[in-house]
Amino acid sequence: MLSTICAARKFSTSAVTNHIMKLTRLRVVDNSKIGKQAMAEGKPPRCIHIYNKKGIGTIGDKILVAIKGEKVKAIIVGCVKEQKANIPRFDSNNIVLIDDNGTPLGTRINVPIPIMLRTILKEKTFSKGADYTKLLAIASNYV
Amino acid sequence: MSKIIKCTILDLSTLLRVTYTGITVNQIRSAHNVRPPRIKYPLWHLQRERAKDDQQLTEDNRAFVKEAVHDKFGMPAVIHGISTYEVRSPLKEDSVERKNVEWHPKLKRTGLIARKLGNYPMWSDNGKSMLATLFQVIDNHVIKYIPPGEFDPPRKPYSCPKHKKELGCLLVGAESADPQYYTKQYCGLFYREGMMPKKILGRFLISPEAALQPGTPLLASHFRPGDFIDIRGKTIDRGFQGVMKRHGFHGLPATHGVTKSHRRGGNIGHGGEKGRVFPGTKMPGHMGNRYRIHKGAEILRINHKYNVIWVKGVASPGETNSIVYLHDTILPLRKHKITPPFPTSKEVEDDQLIDSYKEHMYKFTDPTITFEEEK
Amino acid sequence: MLLRSLKLHIIQCGFAPVVLQVSRTCSNMPLSDTHQSPDNAVSGKQVKSERKLVVPSNSRFIYPEFLPDPKMEWRNSLREKLERLDMIQRRKHIDIPEFYVGSILAVTSSNQHAPNKATRFVGICIQRLGCGLRANITLRNVIKHVGTEIKYQLYDPTIQKIEVLRLEKRLDDELLYLRDAPNEYSTFDENMEAEYLPEGTPVPVNTTLVKLKPRPWRARWERKNMKGLADLELEERFYKRAEELATPWEKYDLMKQYRRTIPEEEQKEIFAEVCSELHEVEVMRKKLKRKKVFVKPTRSS
Repeated sequence: MLSTICAARKFSTSAVTNHIMKLTRLRVVDNSKIGKQAMAEGKPPRCIHIYNKKGIGTIGDKILVAIKGEKVKAIIVGCVKEQKANIPRFDSNNIVLIDDNGTPLGTRINVPIPIMLRTILKEKTFSKGADYTKLLAIASNYV
Repeated sequence: MSKIIKCTILDLSTLLRVTYTGITVNQIRSAHNVRPPRIKYPLWHLQRERAKDDQQLTEDNRAFVKEAVHDKFGMPAVIHGISTYEVRSPLKEDSVERKNVEWHPKLKRTGLIARKLGNYPMWSDNGKSMLATLFQVIDNHVIKYIPPGEFDPPRKPYSCPKHKKELGCLLVGAESADPQYYTKQYCGLFYREGMMPKKILGRFLISPEAALQPGTPLLASHFRPGDFIDIRGKTIDRGFQGVMKRHGFHGLPATHGVTKSHRRGGNIGHGGEKGRVFPGTKMPGHMGNRYRIHKGAEILRINHKYNVIWVKGVASPGETNSIVYLHDTILPLRKHKITPPFPTSKEVEDDQLIDSYKEHMYKFTDPTITFEEEK
Repeated sequence: MLLRSLKLHIIQCGFAPVVLQVSRTCSNMPLSDTHQSPDNAVSGKQVKSERKLVVPSNSRFIYPEFLPDPKMEWRNSLREKLERLDMIQRRKHIDIPEFYVGSILAVTSSNQHAPNKATRFVGICIQRLGCGLRANITLRNVIKHVGTEIKYQLYDPTIQKIEVLRLEKRLDDELLYLRDAPNEYSTFDENMEAEYLPEGTPVPVNTTLVKLKPRPWRARWERKNMKGLADLELEERFYKRAEELATPWEKYDLMKQYRRTIPEEEQKEIFAEVCSELHEVEVMRKKLKRKKVFVKPTRSS
């Protein structure tokens, strides 16, 4: 009886973890055209893949999002989930859209981004791979 | 089997011969079917607690008994933060520097008996925090040394009969106690060495070169910050537990027609030739309350005033306030690289030296950590 | 005063004979009890100035992290003592001022990632957790219309400075509902100047009632019995359910309170041990402050 009730309800009763995983709705925080449009239409992008082994994204991870019928890569620049000491936690899951070379599609990031991204993105940049450090240049505010 | 029978027959015949040559004919039955006891308990396995009888002593008499105890063993004192008695062992003085044996990596030192105090965070000097577990070395003294020839462990490993034949046994006691509460034979174990009875005993297998005189105090400085140790203790008793908690099984589905078995283990065997439950199958049962060893834990800090050792990580077995045994690690890559205090450290009266830290740890007396700007 | 209030409280409930044995303090009591009346606070200060070794009665509100975790299984007197010693050692290098949940703080900490190797964050303290060296606070602020929170460990050696910009209390012990409130309730200027509160005055209580955004929320606030929330404007069924799930008898459960708190005698013991050293640290800091104030004009001229 109990199990049938549990099956009937369509929501989770476990504590909210706020993970960024597949099908999570995200918020584009740069001023790229596609991102702006998607946010304005009320159709925020959806995470469809996370490029790490865990399948749960955190600050600095690269993900693939579905936005306005397109597949675009993005970098997570802020999470809702609980963080360790000295690492900021935001009220929305913020992403910045990038192309395959790591260059951001927009020209400006309008929200504060965690300062630890400076080190994380520099570590992820290799001489012949994608260059993520351009993202740091368009940030307006660090926390 | 046949050998045994032969032996017994021979024995019988010899016995019979003896009896026939004698004047009286007494039937003597050999005890061939009585096996010797399998386990010979070590000499310190004695009746400990005395039956409590108040003897209806008057206040004066009770005070007199107390005085007599203090006269014999020493006055109560607080040493290294523990209320104990001043041990006046005659052998204590020249105990440590008795031998001048050079340390080499194959020698085995004694271990310590400690109490787990709980954990709190420590920081490294680059600002990274880590949890540390605290162990207090509680009033440890060497009670007895049994050399390798005489030491006969109760349980010997079947696989290698030569095992540990070169190792002697060092009996260490922790936490002095009033002898009134213990039996005579238990107190005798300590009295011979001029010591108070100890509440906790531990046995350490050591090389004969590392032997210590009875009455030698063992301190936290036996180890140094940066050393790796093995911690042996009894894990938390969790009682009878199911497979999900005991072995981390996933259980069965919550729905899809599953009834009354959401936390069960499922199948435990096959049919046919293997139609039985294999030994060692993980099943529900008692969890915890068994000795486990946490190997290769790093010492971060040592407090010499209270004999407290900070160890990195929170994985050591046992509850807070439980007893653990600390050994030099057996992990080959984490063994001592440089000479440790051998056979043990000496007692140094130095009020200045309270804390010693591992390298690259933040000392709480240090100023705030700041990072230098690059370029 | 606390004891008296507790006694009165229980006498009203008809448990008078039990009180004398089990009268003890409680760290998370309702605010009407925790808030010190002005005359009492002043008298506490006077006593402190006359005889240094007398423990101020409000120590447990100023230094709550010196009280150990009340969970019996985890307690050990020596560990608690060593922890306190380490905390005092750390306090010699950093001023951890008196503050409460609802105060506005600025924390400066060294940060490897920052270009000038230090960051400063201003925000309202919405949570204060942990005992001993694990004590931590969560600061919240809205920066560029995005709510931002950072957790700081109070005894983290990378923290350079903790400033109290506005010392005040709120009506609740935790302000996590600010996450569901409109941004203006947790927006604070980063360049805010510290507000001066004369010594000896009681800590003011900010009685603003927070109006939440419409549901969905991060928690069911109607069930949490929060005092600082304005009318939630929910349907009748929410309040009905909240009433069903409420446990109003728990405040009379003396055993539960006993297990949740450190007994008063033990608190006194702890603060008597710590007080003199803390006082020394404070005096040293005041001297330094005066020196700084004196030095500053000479430098500029």
